[in-house]
Amino acid sequence: MPSLLDPIQIGEITLPNRVIMSPLTRLTATLYDDLVQRLREPHDFAGERVAFLKCRPALSATSLLLLAGGVHHVENEDYVNDPSAGATVGRSGLRKVLQVAYMEAVSIVHVHLHEHRGRPRFSKTDLRENALFVPDFWNVQPSLPHGAVVFSFDSAVGQCWIPCSPSPSSVDVAIVGSPMRCTWKVTNG
Amino acid sequence: MADKLNLQRQSFLGADSEIVLGRSRAALLGLGGGGSHIAQQLAHIGLGSFLVIDPDFIDDTNLNRLVGATMEDVRLGTAKIDIAERVIKAVNPAAETIKRRANWTEVTAELRDVDVIFACVDSIGCRSELEGFARRFLIPLIDIGMDVHESSGEFSISGQVMLSMPGKPCMRCMGLVTDEALAKEAARYGAAGGKPQVVWPNGTLASIAVGLFMKLVTPWETHKSTPLLLEYDGDLQTVAPSNKLAYLPAYCKHFDSLNELGDPFWTLDSLAVVE
Repeated sequence: MPSLLDPIQIGEITLPNRVIMSPLTRLTATLYDDLVQRLREPHDFAGERVAFLKCRPALSATSLLLLAGGVHHVENEDYVNDPSAGATVGRSGLRKVLQVAYMEAVSIVHVHLHEHRGRPRFSKTDLRENALFVPDFWNVQPSLPHGAVVFSFDSAVGQCWIPCSPSPSSVDVAIVGSPMRCTWKVTNG
Repeated sequence: MADKLNLQRQSFLGADSEIVLGRSRAALLGLGGGGSHIAQQLAHIGLGSFLVIDPDFIDDTNLNRLVGATMEDVRLGTAKIDIAERVIKAVNPAAETIKRRANWTEVTAELRDVDVIFACVDSIGCRSELEGFARRFLIPLIDIGMDVHESSGEFSISGQVMLSMPGKPCMRCMGLVTDEALAKEAARYGAAGGKPQVVWPNGTLASIAVGLFMKLVTPWETHKSTPLLLEYDGDLQTVAPSNKLAYLPAYCKHFDSLNELGDPFWTLDSLAVVE
């Protein structure tokens, strides 16, 4: 199995390492459909819901894969009434997902949904908060990559923090089902 | 002379279909009677990238069914992956072909990158192992298989095409892989000669397999669900969704654990500083 640092030959070019493709998050359509349904449920005061994909990592020949096998949903009482953000998860909610990461030895990918079509974007608040809380998962799973993804109805963008890497990488997303939905293959972005 | 595949006649597949197909990669495991048909059809529809895997060279017993093979290939003992590449490039010179003259277990890092795996292998054991791999990395697997049975001095041709979709029923759920069948196959390992194989059932099954692939990547309609198992009766010349589908669970109970995903030996050493 090659390491991310092993060189790779592409045509006449030799690249010094294999981090040439964005990390890829794969999840089944079944998981995605259940996830979106839960994310769209209204909450008493939170403007949106968030959840956490439970993933296992792997290396392919060209990229890092995050393979989602389950979802940790934030319980109603774990949202904090914070008008400055669409959804703020309180300490108890964050403790629960840290516990999941630790006990189940999984990579955690924070997810939320922007209810529109086309390529979504992280807000400034999202980017700031992602940079604060995603690396926190290294406190319980230091060898695993962790990340954040925002979905729209037909696309997604994401960030991934790889251990030992100074900054996040952008993430592609593939929803494995019939039909297949892969963010890097559509042109509506 | 045209130097680019003109896909105008398949534009009903969607405005983005050419781009989606061009950015898709399929792995073909086994470039014999079934895989060679699939390679040819995927080249025609404009698939952008092929990972073709087969350890074998052609011999004279393959020529009755291996699409694109010639007497000259038999004389030269050409590798089956080279014949596949020649067929693909003759149709679409822009297609990328990554060739591996190896068993699939030797190229698992590259297999993890593909969108769909086509399994055109002979043994139940190999099918089962491949499905385990595909489920671990959340990759759809399209399997084709044909058989010729003898009974009372007459022959019967049958086969099946299966879409093994992560999260959905697997080969064990559908009864295609059983402990009994695996044990029987293991008991006769090395004893049997080549199984009977002919070109037209392979062509039928390969066409169905490519149709399943197209419904995954560029669906032309979305109202009819794709059958996960189609059965071929080569005597009646019919293909139909399997009756087993009515009795299947909605979800697979054999591959439902988080522990069966990803690299089982992941450590921090798998990674390195990314600059």
